[in-house]
Amino acid sequence: MTPDLNHYLLLGAVLFVSGALCMANKRNAIGVLMGVELVLNGASINFIAFARFNPIFAIEGQIFALFVIVLAAAEAAIALAIVLNFYNNHMTVDVDTAEELKG
Amino acid sequence: MNWFLDVQEHPGLLYVYATLLPLASFVLLLLAGALRTALRPAPGVSGSNLYYLLGGDAPLRSGGYIATAGIGSAFVLSVFGFILFTRDYNAAFPHHDAQPGHAAVQGQGKTAEKESDDKADKRREQFDGHWKDSFDWAWVKTGNSTTSAKEGTVLKLGYKIDHLAAIMFLMVTLVATLIHLFSIGYMGEELQPEVEDHQVHTQHGSLRRRGRFGRFFLYMSLFCFSMLNLVLADNLFQVFLSWELVGICSYLLIGFYFERRSASDAANKAFITNRIGDAGFILGLIIIWTYVGSFNFEDIFHKVRAGEKDPSNTRYQFAGQVVRGEKVGFGEGTEKLRITPDGSEVVLFPLKGNAENIAEDKTVPTKINPGAGDFGTMPYWLLVTAGLGIFLGCVGKSAQFPLHVWLPDAMEGPTPVSALIHAATMVAAGVYLVGRCFPLFVPESRLVIAYTGAITLFVAATIAIVMTDIKKVLAYSTVSQLGYMMLALGVGGWVAGLFHLVTHAFFKALLFLGSGSVIYGCHHEQDMLKMGGLYPKMKITALTMLIGVLAIAGIPTFSGWFSKDAILAEALGFVHVNRQHGLLFLLPLMTAGITTFYMFRMWLLTFTGKPRDHHVFEHAGESPGVMTVPLIVLAFFSWVVAWGSNPLNPEKSYLEEQIHHAQHLSVTADFGMVAGAGEAAGEHTETVEHFTHEYHALAGYLALGIVLLAIIFAFVVYWFKVLDPAEAKEQFPGVHRFLWNKWYFDELYSAILVRPALTVAGWARGFDINVIDGTVDFLGRATVRISSWNGKFDLGIVDGLVNLTGNVIFGIGYSFRRLQTGYLRSYVLFLVLAAIGFFAVLSYFVAKTAAS
Repeated sequence: MTPDLNHYLLLGAVLFVSGALCMANKRNAIGVLMGVELVLNGASINFIAFARFNPIFAIEGQIFALFVIVLAAAEAAIALAIVLNFYNNHMTVDVDTAEELKG
Repeated sequence: MNWFLDVQEHPGLLYVYATLLPLASFVLLLLAGALRTALRPAPGVSGSNLYYLLGGDAPLRSGGYIATAGIGSAFVLSVFGFILFTRDYNAAFPHHDAQPGHAAVQGQGKTAEKESDDKADKRREQFDGHWKDSFDWAWVKTGNSTTSAKEGTVLKLGYKIDHLAAIMFLMVTLVATLIHLFSIGYMGEELQPEVEDHQVHTQHGSLRRRGRFGRFFLYMSLFCFSMLNLVLADNLFQVFLSWELVGICSYLLIGFYFERRSASDAANKAFITNRIGDAGFILGLIIIWTYVGSFNFEDIFHKVRAGEKDPSNTRYQFAGQVVRGEKVGFGEGTEKLRITPDGSEVVLFPLKGNAENIAEDKTVPTKINPGAGDFGTMPYWLLVTAGLGIFLGCVGKSAQFPLHVWLPDAMEGPTPVSALIHAATMVAAGVYLVGRCFPLFVPESRLVIAYTGAITLFVAATIAIVMTDIKKVLAYSTVSQLGYMMLALGVGGWVAGLFHLVTHAFFKALLFLGSGSVIYGCHHEQDMLKMGGLYPKMKITALTMLIGVLAIAGIPTFSGWFSKDAILAEALGFVHVNRQHGLLFLLPLMTAGITTFYMFRMWLLTFTGKPRDHHVFEHAGESPGVMTVPLIVLAFFSWVVAWGSNPLNPEKSYLEEQIHHAQHLSVTADFGMVAGAGEAAGEHTETVEHFTHEYHALAGYLALGIVLLAIIFAFVVYWFKVLDPAEAKEQFPGVHRFLWNKWYFDELYSAILVRPALTVAGWARGFDINVIDGTVDFLGRATVRISSWNGKFDLGIVDGLVNLTGNVIFGIGYSFRRLQTGYLRSYVLFLVLAAIGFFAVLSYFVAKTAAS
């Protein structure tokens, strides 16, 4: 059985939901970043899947996937810098201690 | 300015200078006083040099010197003026010297005299130019015309000197100078920086105040100026101005010790009583202005009385008289006037027609337009009213019945003021004005004047008998003597009245200054019952006062003898012709005795007998020279001022002759014509004049007899003590109480005037408080009530709505605030939930779209 579009979309959705749950549940900032990567990768899989199975999006899907990868790399770099600074200030990477943002 | 200094051309200016000199000292004192007050430093601080130069804390004595110098030089000028005037007069009217006194009633037209009359007219014109002048002062527009010489009328300031004015100047300036001198001594206490007034009690004992030496002389100078200006004036309006000025000076000086309740009350009483008289004066002025159109004395008299001759040089039948007539015919332009003795209209001269027309029972055409037509007329009753109005002013100023009540109270002022203003000069101004306006008074008015004078002189004299305050005795005596003058004027004795005015000024000033000297010597004790036996202590005062007493009593050779006999002779002559008016002679004759009695009572009580109060007696002493010298000078004049070539002949008085000249010169009117204008006036005049001369000696002997009786009676009671005044008081308690309470005039006025006025004022006050204030208060309260409602609405509803909106928004915001926890994970949760919700809604709509 060759995998069709629905399988890829299911995989992407699983990855996305996993990532979102990871973001919502993890208290460790690194874990949250990991969740973010999962969400981005879930989205990338969707783009690739549509590029593979729909000729209209053949180029656009791949380019968007590449963009997402680059974006994820940049984002990870900035996020890690934030985490480092956060650590310097709070001596922890527990995001629940970052509640100064509350109104 | 040149004309102002040209005394050669206008010798009358001497009198203007004499008038202005006291004004100059007034201004000087006023400026210096104002400057000193402005420079007065705060307590404990030393003032500027100028302040100490002006006297510092204590008034300077030089204030008195300045004022005295002012009035003294006015006296010197008056003497020069009088000499020049009489010389000029004798040159201009040589034939009048031959028959002094009868010139005015003389001259029933004789053709032979016509030429010399023409010459006399020319000389007279020249003479007039020397002694009178006036300048425009203020334009008065009449109707709606523009201001032009023709249509408007002009008020003038001017001076006119005749014998009367010249003599009044001499009298006023001499008496005033002496009283100023006296005051420098008498007011000496006021020189201290702080004066204690023992009659005023405050919470801290007697009142302490600054000395008012300068202020006293300031007021006195202003008074002298006003009084001289009154005498100088050639028109009624100027007289009225001065009249008010002397009134205000009198008010200020009566209230000189204004901290004393009695003094301020007396000042108010004097001022208010005079206002009543002045209301009449103003009424008279209005009537005269309306009908005559001028205030100048000569103009007025030439209007209301016929001249000597008409333009064609024919003598008027009614020369010098008021001509009355009755209007006949109706309608504009057709009216005619029939000359009748008791007509309701008075002819206003000058007349264009011939003198022959103005004769009894003739009918002349008249246009009631004096400017354009033949002549105008005015209602007779208005002329009477004008005369009585002006007389009412004189009643107020000269303290005649029924307005005499203020003068005795006016004795609250310092004694020199009583002497100058309330005895010698200002109160005599009323008599002077009656004399000046004499031609305005028709027979009816004159009868009123005569009776007013007669009642006054009797009432005041009776009150004076029982008074124990030495100044009050003199005050009532003044009222009484003024009554004599009014009586004399009323019965036609113009000369006699004014003659008495001058002599009275001297001896009454003397008596008042004498009483001042006694009061000063007794340390401000005025009650005669506490004096007695003062003669050895103050001989000069006692002797000079005795001369005053003899003068007022009318002992031969003293000045009062001349003038009082003249008045009594006039009254007798008048009564002889008009038998129904017998009281007009009996009252003054009796009063001559009463006067003598109370004056001797005063003198004997004060200076003889045993001292009744040893405290007063021991501290009594003669006054300093600055006070006794004026007494001596006044005593000299009181004795000799009326003397003529023979001091023993009462009909030969130099002073009286001079006043006679004034009668001729300034008052060309019929004299002695009092009752019944119907009789041919010429004869009538002759009759009264004739009897006056015939009975002069008789009146004199009668008066002398009564005076001697009174002297004997006074000595019996107060020297030999045969009769005890206390016993008499007990025997006639009603009479004594009646007199002691001054005939209950004050009570009467209080009952019929003051209390009703206060009641009405109370009503007005009640109306004010209840109705007017009530309305205003009600409006205020209603406004406050409405405002408070308005405020509640504003706070509750308008603000409430705005606040509610704010609160709701705030509450919403506050509840949203709690969503923002700051926890990253909850944000992600919201994000996820939102995405799920979004997809749920999207899929719902997509499904719906797909289904349709």
